[in-house]
Amino acid sequence: MKFRLFIDRGREEEVIVYAHEKSRLVSSIEKLVSDNTELIGYNGKTAVRINLCEVYCFVTERNKVYAVTEKEKLQMKLRLYQLEEIADENFVKINQSCIANIRMIGRFDASVSGTMRVVFKNGYTDYVSRRQMKTVKERLGL
Amino acid sequence: MNRYLKDFLYRGLIFGGFGPIVVAIVFMCISLADRGFSLTASQILLATVSSYLLAFIQAGVTVFNQIEHWSTVKSLLCHFVTLYAAYSVCYVVNSWIPFEPMVLVIFSAVFVLLFFVIWGIVYLSVRATSKRLNSQLKG
Repeated sequence: MKFRLFIDRGREEEVIVYAHEKSRLVSSIEKLVSDNTELIGYNGKTAVRINLCEVYCFVTERNKVYAVTEKEKLQMKLRLYQLEEIADENFVKINQSCIANIRMIGRFDASVSGTMRVVFKNGYTDYVSRRQMKTVKERLGL
Repeated sequence: MNRYLKDFLYRGLIFGGFGPIVVAIVFMCISLADRGFSLTASQILLATVSSYLLAFIQAGVTVFNQIEHWSTVKSLLCHFVTLYAAYSVCYVVNSWIPFEPMVLVIFSAVFVLLFFVIWGIVYLSVRATSKRLNSQLKG
């Protein structure tokens, strides 16, 4: 299989594969690109299947762990440290109770308390603790 | 328990102990500079307890700035007022400053100046870092 890479910042990033059949290589590429790790979250008593890539962040509130998605907050059965192990390289711990998806971060703001506020693309906000600042900087290439 | 109250107590408990340590260091420095310096047992007790509470409050009130539904002005104002009240009461109760109008005016002016200078330095530093992180996000 040939491989061609086009660097074009003006276009949406996508991977297109031309293949004679769905081989193991194609499946591997699909898995790698579509980030298909699935989790089960709970909206009340209703179980909801979510892809890891849809999660904006995982947060702990009142000893319960939630996955924040675009429109809802789903309760998770896993603890935050377990989710940290499952989460891929797009996730970074920003404070003691939040693991953020870097792809879903809209911007960083300086807050009046001298901490850094994270505003996600869905409007949800949290903050970067001083302890995690170094890690966040490194993950973003600073 | 309310999340913010819990954060307030948690931070206060962690950093409260630094108050008496700082006061002890200051007393030691004064005693090195002034051989005649002395304190009664009740003065030491008052200074220890009040400085613990002061450090507790100072650490705890940072939580005001994380209350998402509060505006920037409101959180900054509450932060400032609480710190100002805590420092004023602590200084007056310990007789570190005399309870006189002119002294209180000077104390207030110095407090306001220092509060906003420190806040400005920290804020500008964090803002510079956030700009760099934002440029990395876009890149």
